[in-house]
Amino acid sequence: MSSTIVTEPRLAAAASWVSTGARLVLGAVFVVAGGLKVIDPQSSVTAVRAYRLLPASVATIVGWGLPFAEIALGILLIAGVATRVAAAASAVLLIVFMAALASAAARGLSIDCGCFGGGGDVAPGQTAYGIEIVRDVGLLLLAAWLVWHPSSRLALDRFMSAEPQAGKSSEHF
Amino acid sequence: MAAEQAAARKRDRRILFMMIAVFLVVVVAGGIAFQAWRTSRAPSAAPSAAVSASPVTLTDGHPIPLGSAEAPVTITLYEDFHCPHCADFEQQFGPIITKAQEAGTARVELYPMAFIDEGSLTAANAMACAAEAGFGQAYYLGLFANHTLQWSDPQLIDLAAKVAGAPSEAFRTCVMRRAHADWVTSVNAAADTNGVDQTPTMLINGKNVDIATLTAESLQTMISNAAEK
Repeated sequence: MSSTIVTEPRLAAAASWVSTGARLVLGAVFVVAGGLKVIDPQSSVTAVRAYRLLPASVATIVGWGLPFAEIALGILLIAGVATRVAAAASAVLLIVFMAALASAAARGLSIDCGCFGGGGDVAPGQTAYGIEIVRDVGLLLLAAWLVWHPSSRLALDRFMSAEPQAGKSSEHF
Repeated sequence: MAAEQAAARKRDRRILFMMIAVFLVVVVAGGIAFQAWRTSRAPSAAPSAAVSASPVTLTDGHPIPLGSAEAPVTITLYEDFHCPHCADFEQQFGPIITKAQEAGTARVELYPMAFIDEGSLTAANAMACAAEAGFGQAYYLGLFANHTLQWSDPQLIDLAAKVAGAPSEAFRTCVMRRAHADWVTSVNAAADTNGVDQTPTMLINGKNVDIATLTAESLQTMISNAAEK
């Protein structure tokens, strides 16, 4: 294992550390976002309903289940397990979030995104769609980086997918 | 030999993949089941309320009065029992308002709004039933203390038992028949007429209070100042 790291070009080594940072930031954001929503299932459902995109019963299931999915994804990312798959799933989730936000903005709804708990209708002047979408774009960039370069340091993936015979540092899924 | 190792690794990866998929499904399904349990369980006991509890007569379009009619300060509250910010508001400022009610300084005029979901309506209706039965204040505190519940009929009746002892048959019927649904509608229409477009909204002696910048101290000062005038 260590011999492959030493022979890695310096740039590739740096990229691996960048991936580690991306994993930890994206993972932490998901764990925090999910954790804040798990505490209060009623407001989580309210936040989903506020988008007025899903029928009531589906909104309830999403409001209850989505925060746990976020936490699970966050744990995979932080641990560095199945990084590429977790990053791709994060990217899909973030794109869905952005689409929902953009549609809320386009329909003239006045809602809080409910990204980190809270959510629901707010007064017309209190929306923050711009900032919320910019934040999602930033996170999406991290996820995209990880899909492209999932190999990272301090990741459990390293223990499972090292290719001892080849020069390649690791193989990812 | 190498081929065997590669095959073993491939198998490992497949098993690992399945384990991750199972992990995700278990976490999400377990989470949904957990939240379903949390929102449908029985309410817990509410903080006690020592505010005089005389039965209230409801009038269409008019709020529920809670507290002494002679109190010099009127605090008007527009709240939905399922609005997250209302629960936060209640947690932060509720005790100060309750204390002012108990001291006879203030009385609350409550507009229970019902715009978030079905539970908002059932809770608002039950709140009206409780006020009519004479335990409105205790019930109000109980609704917010248990705001994560979905507010099914059994939960609403159970809450009444927790805060005011075994509820009367009239109360049960009132809750189950949604006896005050029309009154709730009328109160929501009144809020609309009054230009209220968000919850919580609070007015002290008719003057709108900016809740975003409110602190416990400033609320205390506002109530004291309003009492002196």
